[in-house]
Amino acid sequence: MERISHLLHPSVEIGGVMTDSSARSTSASRPGAVLAVPGWAWSSVKAILSTVITLFGLVALTFFIGRLLPLDPVVAVLGDNISQAAYDAMYRQLGLDQPLLIQFLDYLRGVLVLDFGTALTTGRPVIDDITRVFPATLELATVAIIIGTGLGIPAGVFSAMYRGSWIDHIVRVVGLVGYSAPNFWLGLMGLVLFYATLGWIGGPGRINMIHEFDLIRVTGFYLVDTALAGQWVAFRNVFGHIILPASILGLGALAFISRMTRSFMIEQLSQEYVITARVKGLSWARTVWIHAFRNIAVQVLTVVVLSYAFLLEGAVLTETVFAWPGFGRYLTNALLAGDMNAVVGCTLLIGIIFVVLNLLCDLLYRIVDPRTR
Amino acid sequence: MPTMTLKASLRNARGLRRGATAIALFAAASAASAATPPNTLVMAWNIDAISTFDPAQSGEVVTNELIQNTCDALVNFAPEDERKIQPGFAHDWDVSEDGREITFHLRTGATFPSGNPVMAHDVAWSLQRVVHLGFGAAATLTEYGFTSDNVEEMIEAVDDETLVMRLDKPYPVNLIMHAIAANQASSVLDSQLIMEHEEDGDYGNRYLTTRTACVGPYRLSRWDAGEALILEANDEYWGDRPTLSRIFVRHVSEPGTQRLLLEQGDVDVARDLGPDDLADLSGSSTVTIEQTLRPQLFFWIFNLEDERFAHPEVRLAMRYLIDYEGLGDSVMNALGVPRASFVQLGAIGALDEDEGQPFSLDLERARELLAEAGFTEGFQANVIYGTLPHSAPIAQSVQQNASQVGIRLDLERMANAQLFARVRGREYQSAMLAWQTSVPDAHGNASRLVYNPDNSAEAQLTQYPAWRAAFYDEELNARVEEALLEADPDHRDQLYAELQRDVMETGPMAIMFQMYNVAGVRNEIQDWSWNGFRTYYTLASK
Repeated sequence: MERISHLLHPSVEIGGVMTDSSARSTSASRPGAVLAVPGWAWSSVKAILSTVITLFGLVALTFFIGRLLPLDPVVAVLGDNISQAAYDAMYRQLGLDQPLLIQFLDYLRGVLVLDFGTALTTGRPVIDDITRVFPATLELATVAIIIGTGLGIPAGVFSAMYRGSWIDHIVRVVGLVGYSAPNFWLGLMGLVLFYATLGWIGGPGRINMIHEFDLIRVTGFYLVDTALAGQWVAFRNVFGHIILPASILGLGALAFISRMTRSFMIEQLSQEYVITARVKGLSWARTVWIHAFRNIAVQVLTVVVLSYAFLLEGAVLTETVFAWPGFGRYLTNALLAGDMNAVVGCTLLIGIIFVVLNLLCDLLYRIVDPRTR
Repeated sequence: MPTMTLKASLRNARGLRRGATAIALFAAASAASAATPPNTLVMAWNIDAISTFDPAQSGEVVTNELIQNTCDALVNFAPEDERKIQPGFAHDWDVSEDGREITFHLRTGATFPSGNPVMAHDVAWSLQRVVHLGFGAAATLTEYGFTSDNVEEMIEAVDDETLVMRLDKPYPVNLIMHAIAANQASSVLDSQLIMEHEEDGDYGNRYLTTRTACVGPYRLSRWDAGEALILEANDEYWGDRPTLSRIFVRHVSEPGTQRLLLEQGDVDVARDLGPDDLADLSGSSTVTIEQTLRPQLFFWIFNLEDERFAHPEVRLAMRYLIDYEGLGDSVMNALGVPRASFVQLGAIGALDEDEGQPFSLDLERARELLAEAGFTEGFQANVIYGTLPHSAPIAQSVQQNASQVGIRLDLERMANAQLFARVRGREYQSAMLAWQTSVPDAHGNASRLVYNPDNSAEAQLTQYPAWRAAFYDEELNARVEEALLEADPDHRDQLYAELQRDVMETGPMAIMFQMYNVAGVRNEIQDWSWNGFRTYYTLASK
């Protein structure tokens, strides 16, 4: 998804898995308690079952929708200029002559052993393609979310603290730009200014060609790989390539996070405990950062995790402008070519991302909010 | 609620400012100098379409160019004139008196990158394999009488250095050289290595999906789909070693990004520049715009199963709705030239530029023709088109002109895979798309855009655009066959000229433009050589 949706409320369920503490507290007194199964075990079983059902539904839905799309995967493989005999042979080879249910069961059997089939557009196993393109997106999204969070939370808090001041106006204008300016346009303008005119950054791609041949790929995260190898010149080059697309994606995250943080914080600052703290002589900064902020931490965490999840889906337009070989472009190309093996594999990965982040979020709730323990 | 003083605000912002400055300085320090390595040609190119490196299967232009530079064919298109043939892996050839047997004399002592020696058997096997697999390239051979049953007999290695090709009819030798011997179908493959990796009788098709195994100046050393591709010069190549030992293709799909990379010197060549970029770069002191006509035609095809388009007058009227001149000067400026003939400029037998495009926007003439066909009130029809950037503006221009003669055209844009599926299945009323031939001879397109051996739906001759349009004309079929086998070159040209004039009036498609190959090339690159049929990396230098 190119832009973070502002319509999502932080308390929404992610990936269909229950996240709030009420789910856990009620589960302990249900059948698990009668069968003398510990509450945490029953809760875990429920979470796993829910995850499996969610992922199964995702695969089934994507698979069947994919088969109903009027895209021809045979033409995607063989091109337009082929005889009907060659077409029919490939049609059979791809298993498209089988009943839909058989095709689905075959596919499902493969998925269980992590075989998502072969991508028609690249001729390689889908899992290999994903393993190659996903680190590029993960690295970009991680830097973007660090920028978005690092700037968005303080901006939101300051904006709430000094509501109506010039700093509030600036944060709101930046947020508006983050929401409304197309990333495609921002990307091109950013390249013209910082790459072509000022020469401050490394330009499109993940790394300059001169370093590409010496790069030792271990994790697929170029910042990490170059640092592990002690290739500091290459590390700086990678940083120069990632900083602009990450900043542009981070701007969208910043807009979302700062607005939500501002809104949560304004609500907190009107609470009586804030006035009490101030009356007792606590400094304004301490009141906000130590007391009020702790009360919005869970909500802010949810917003950050949601933003990160959307960034991980891949930002197609940003990846296109910056020639970034990422997940979003791979998925879009696969979809346009009717490469359903790749599409279903990617969809499943997105589902897993949401589930994993949801679980991670759940874990972090316990750390930041004692009431959820 | 406290308010913030300017001083306090500045104090709070100081930390952020320091951080931003540090990041900017670090990023600035990381910007590398813009120069490509002296022994490497670096290109920015949209290489999304690559899905295999098997010459028997690949049918799209990007892969074909790469295969032509990694795999020697029997003969070569001459760089300066694609109509001329020069030796390739065959250094010489003889033709029998009856014109039905060609004997190719092959290079000796050559080896594949695997170390296996290159034998005539490899050449024969490579050609036979194309027919047996039956993918897109098979039509190159089956069109001239080769079948899975006879190909072992018709293409034979008589010894280690000699290959004999037998033909079922006395086709013009030049045509066979263009259509088969210079085509990627005759790429010389390493049969021993490939058969070691055969799976389920696939002749190594899966093995060649991601690699090359042939004799040629370069070999594929890396392909990361949607990211980059590298060709390395072959040390053991029989011919001259290329000046540029490495070809690096970076996948860049956005034309604006390609232009920035080119201007900054981070790439030597940009292959997908848009009309605006080309116009801006035309006055550049560091970049030269290279342009050559390619054998690709962009046309508006009509389905004759639709009774309105079955009227020749209606199809002719549609031609008068196309603003060839206006579009040529705007949307298609630097991308293509107006062309109405089915034979591309530069091909043997082609009408010249003026005679091959006699139409102009003429709404009055269109109205008359529609009235002759009984459509004085006009009609409504659908036009489908794909993702080629110029399709939409051309379709919109035609739509606007059509509305003035009472024809309502509904435009529908779709993914190319969907477009091709609809057109192949005759599930459309009219469509705009491109077609590219692999032969610099009038027969290349006559055999597909005019000729239709069997118009029945059951025949499923989906590789014939004429069949896709449900266009069948027995007389035109006979004239295509006659021109094909005509031995006298002048008379052959005359037959094709007459055929083009007639088909421009009655044919199933309004051909609109012939496309250019266009590239922005930095001045450091010398001897960038190409024609409509191939690009010669071996000739380029820095």
